[in-house]
Amino acid sequence: MNEFGPLIHSFWYLLRGAAMTVLMATSAAVPATIFGVLLALLHIFGGRLMRSAILGYLFLLRGIPLLVLLTFVYYLMPLTGIDLPPFWGVVLVISLYYAAFISEVFRAGILSLPQAQWDAARSLGMTRGLMLRIVVLPQALRLAAPPYVSLCVSLVKATSLVSIVGLWELTMASREVVERTLAPFQIFIGAAAIYFSICYALALYGRHLERRVLLGH
Amino acid sequence: MPFDPHFIARLIPALLVGAEVTVELAALTMAICLVWGLVVALANGVRGPLAWLAGGYIQLVRNTPLLIQLYLVYFGFSMAGFGLSGFASGLLALCAQNGGYVAEIYRGGLQSVSIRQFEAGRALGMRRWTLYTTVILPQVVARVVPPLTNQSIAIIKDTSQVAAIAVMEIMKITEVWVETSANTYDVFLGAALIYLALTSITGLVGKLAERRLAFAQ
Repeated sequence: MNEFGPLIHSFWYLLRGAAMTVLMATSAAVPATIFGVLLALLHIFGGRLMRSAILGYLFLLRGIPLLVLLTFVYYLMPLTGIDLPPFWGVVLVISLYYAAFISEVFRAGILSLPQAQWDAARSLGMTRGLMLRIVVLPQALRLAAPPYVSLCVSLVKATSLVSIVGLWELTMASREVVERTLAPFQIFIGAAAIYFSICYALALYGRHLERRVLLGH
Repeated sequence: MPFDPHFIARLIPALLVGAEVTVELAALTMAICLVWGLVVALANGVRGPLAWLAGGYIQLVRNTPLLIQLYLVYFGFSMAGFGLSGFASGLLALCAQNGGYVAEIYRGGLQSVSIRQFEAGRALGMRRWTLYTTVILPQVVARVVPPLTNQSIAIIKDTSQVAAIAVMEIMKITEVWVETSANTYDVFLGAALIYLALTSITGLVGKLAERRLAFAQ
């Protein structure tokens, strides 16, 4: 086990990095989800102008790599004089980026409801707000839950990119340790194992939700 | 000063050189993953230790960040004695990760074909080979094209991460040009436009293929 000495010695440091990764992912996932649901609703119920604005947003955000956006904001912030802490800068970019993907997942969930559900709600005299709240959203959210969870896994993995623009989290921590110990193989395997336990736990939860959706049908 | 025509005239050829590397990397990854993903999906389908191995591989690569896999291959392998070039490391890591995703796409496509299709074919006395080549596979192909298109777009965007191991593709060239000139806006706009062009073209090709295969739905 001598080869894995460096990993054992620095494991606590890597775990602190992992805590930062989780904090960053959570801070980005919450606004991304809210904004994503909002985008999905506006996409479906908004007017023509709103719809084309959202389509433009989706086209831009889904066609450009997250790393390009992160680096752009990294170089842009000093130029424009926006005095935002780097942590919130990257959290903002990641949440705007994932909101685009999340909105597509929720939109698919809402659109996959059979027309009869809408007709039934309307024929009961429900207003649009009530119909959304007690008929459409509960079913749509359940349908959208499994792909939403896999997007969250992808978001956790994407936080590793912020190490390229100099923020400290698990990937940055492992690079620091590698520079000190010159044991890249062991340390990166350790970092991968930590990422795996976070993401696999999420993925298992997603699979559990998927089974529930299938049973519900 | 933004939008300086002389600067843009020098910038565009440089970015296009990077775009060539990006396209090569993405195309090779996609070509290899189409085959490798099939191998993994088939291995995952048979009972026994092979399925266990393939399933473990899929979960492992899907639940760890590409960046960590890149570092592991690039720095880890060279420490272990067989160093790979940046391009080769990038290709290996991209194929390892996306092979897992493509395998899951194949599995989803096969599972989405109704069991009745198999039963009907057998009831008509079709041989297994005929059943698969004339009934099942055309439907599977039609159903995997949309997710494979999305995966190709994701691969193009993922290639930006090999900038972290100093491969001179679009992202790395963007970084170099931003740091050596003060023209942040022009450089990022150029890079974003090239990525948007690449992802849009891929999306269009996917749409065309989808339309061609619509008969099998």
